[in-house]
Amino acid sequence: MSQANTGCAVEVAAEEPRARESLWSKALYKFMHDRMGMWSLAVVALYGIIALGVWAGLWGQGWSANDGPMWAPPSSEYWLGTNIIGQDIFQRAIFSTKTAFEVGLVVAVLSTILGGLLGALSGFFSNRWADELILWLMGVLDSIPFYLFVAAIAFALSGFPYAMHVAMVLTFWTATARLVRGEVIKLKNFEFVEAARAIGVPQFTIIFRHILPNTFHILLVQATIVFVGAIKSEVILSFLGLGVKNGVSWGLMIAESTQEVQAGHFSNFITASAFLFVLVMAFNMFSDALQDALDPKKVQ
Amino acid sequence: MEMLQYTLRKLITGIPLVLGVTLISFVLMVYFGPDKTYDLLGKNPTPEEIAQVRHQLGYDQPFVVRYLDYLRELVTLDFGYSDSSGERVGSILKRTIPVSLAVILPGFILGNLLGVVLALVAAYHRGGWIDKLIMAGSVVGMSVSFLIVIIAFQVIFSSSYGLNWFPVLGWDVYSFWDYLRYVTVPTLASVFVALGYNTRFYRAVIVEEMGRDHVRTARAYGASPAELLFKSILKNSLIPIITRIMFSIPLVVVSGSLLIESYFGIPGVGKVAFDAITTGDQPILKAVVGLTAVLFVVVLIINDILYKVVDPRVSLK
Repeated sequence: MSQANTGCAVEVAAEEPRARESLWSKALYKFMHDRMGMWSLAVVALYGIIALGVWAGLWGQGWSANDGPMWAPPSSEYWLGTNIIGQDIFQRAIFSTKTAFEVGLVVAVLSTILGGLLGALSGFFSNRWADELILWLMGVLDSIPFYLFVAAIAFALSGFPYAMHVAMVLTFWTATARLVRGEVIKLKNFEFVEAARAIGVPQFTIIFRHILPNTFHILLVQATIVFVGAIKSEVILSFLGLGVKNGVSWGLMIAESTQEVQAGHFSNFITASAFLFVLVMAFNMFSDALQDALDPKKVQ
Repeated sequence: MEMLQYTLRKLITGIPLVLGVTLISFVLMVYFGPDKTYDLLGKNPTPEEIAQVRHQLGYDQPFVVRYLDYLRELVTLDFGYSDSSGERVGSILKRTIPVSLAVILPGFILGNLLGVVLALVAAYHRGGWIDKLIMAGSVVGMSVSFLIVIIAFQVIFSSSYGLNWFPVLGWDVYSFWDYLRYVTVPTLASVFVALGYNTRFYRAVIVEEMGRDHVRTARAYGASPAELLFKSILKNSLIPIITRIMFSIPLVVVSGSLLIESYFGIPGVGKVAFDAITTGDQPILKAVVGLTAVLFVVVLIINDILYKVVDPRVSLK
């Protein structure tokens, strides 16, 4: 059998190399021709470069120095002015980009992994005890009010700077898992799964090698949605005093700006809001374009 | 009769959910929550005083006993007295829940109604510039943080830097006119934030329904646009719409009101619950979380029953 396979491969390779039509190649083609999608990707990439630069120590390092005058207007030294204790608002906003990407990436990656794994298990063993257990867990996590849950975790893990991340991962994975579960229930009745089972492929290999890779388009789109959700939640949690503990974030900037706004100084508030808005907007549009490209059945 | 059986069965399946929510929140908020012992003691307490306060707070009981106590409280709806103010938890909730509802409901209703209306307009002009405008607007609405909207609206409507039409903070409501004055800005903010998500979701539902065969058949038989809209499209879109509205109720009541209440200084249940977490006021926490879980299960059940009413094909098994 392996003999025949190799022979076949040689024959195909001898032919003119043809572009293989797959979900991904079609999606890539569609995405490249989506003007809004490409623009939004460019904006997200720009933010990504800013975040990488902060991470590498190239810019935004003076975010905590409070050596400027209080509430200085925009100038060549302080591009967007200073805040109530004389910190450079522009530097803080730039540094916060790194914080936002950190929160978004950590939460998106971890909750997608968790959601993918548990969703796949739950779907594959649907209507068995493992599925019931996972469904119950999802139901429970979904019915605890989010902000109370985060506050409780922040207290339970008191002193741990990533309590917010933990709480978000624990609540955000359920949406992904529900979608993956539905898809896996559909996929497990397909012939290729039946074939794999017939030749004696172990159950876990079937789930993780054959079924889960077919849900990657869902995972990718879900990850972008979670990324946006995490960044937006961070702002509110930081305002409530439950968010970022070390460093600065747009949420913390907005939180500190609430007093400045009452005194008529809007630079801090507007800067942080604008940085946040543009990134979230671009990411939302990117996510939409990705969904359009990856879901052939999506209603336009 | 069949319906009653169905409801009872659903109620029973709701029990593990309530147990799970109460258990997890009990472990997190009560067992690992802040320790109030020393807040209630004077300076240099004797060991006996410490032991007495711990006994009074129930800290000296084993885990299982404390959890079972919690369940008993939930069943009898008697949560004892607040650790911080000494007021009965029941009377605190009786005072704050109506305030929260009064703040949240107008925005919630308007946000959903306007969402459906905009979605219908967009779907009707599908692909045209009106559709594109509405959808672009909803992406913008989805991308603005709730917090930013609240702060910006407060500056615009209630500060001397803006229009200065409404009071900045508080909740001194004695007449309908007062109510309007205090509720307008929070309502505008929550409608603004909810509208983007709602419109987008409802439009997707309606557009999908518009493509169904029975709609095409009805159109071919000469049904008027209004008839099509209300009889064929809207009625069938009701299931996802109802689901969305029902499921957002428990979240809106606690989470949604928290931010508005803490920013506008409104004494509602969201603020009380949040303060209870940060100060470790366990009786209040237990009540709020437990009741939210019960509310969630009730919503789940009502939702399933409404499914049945709207769509007779849904089986009762």
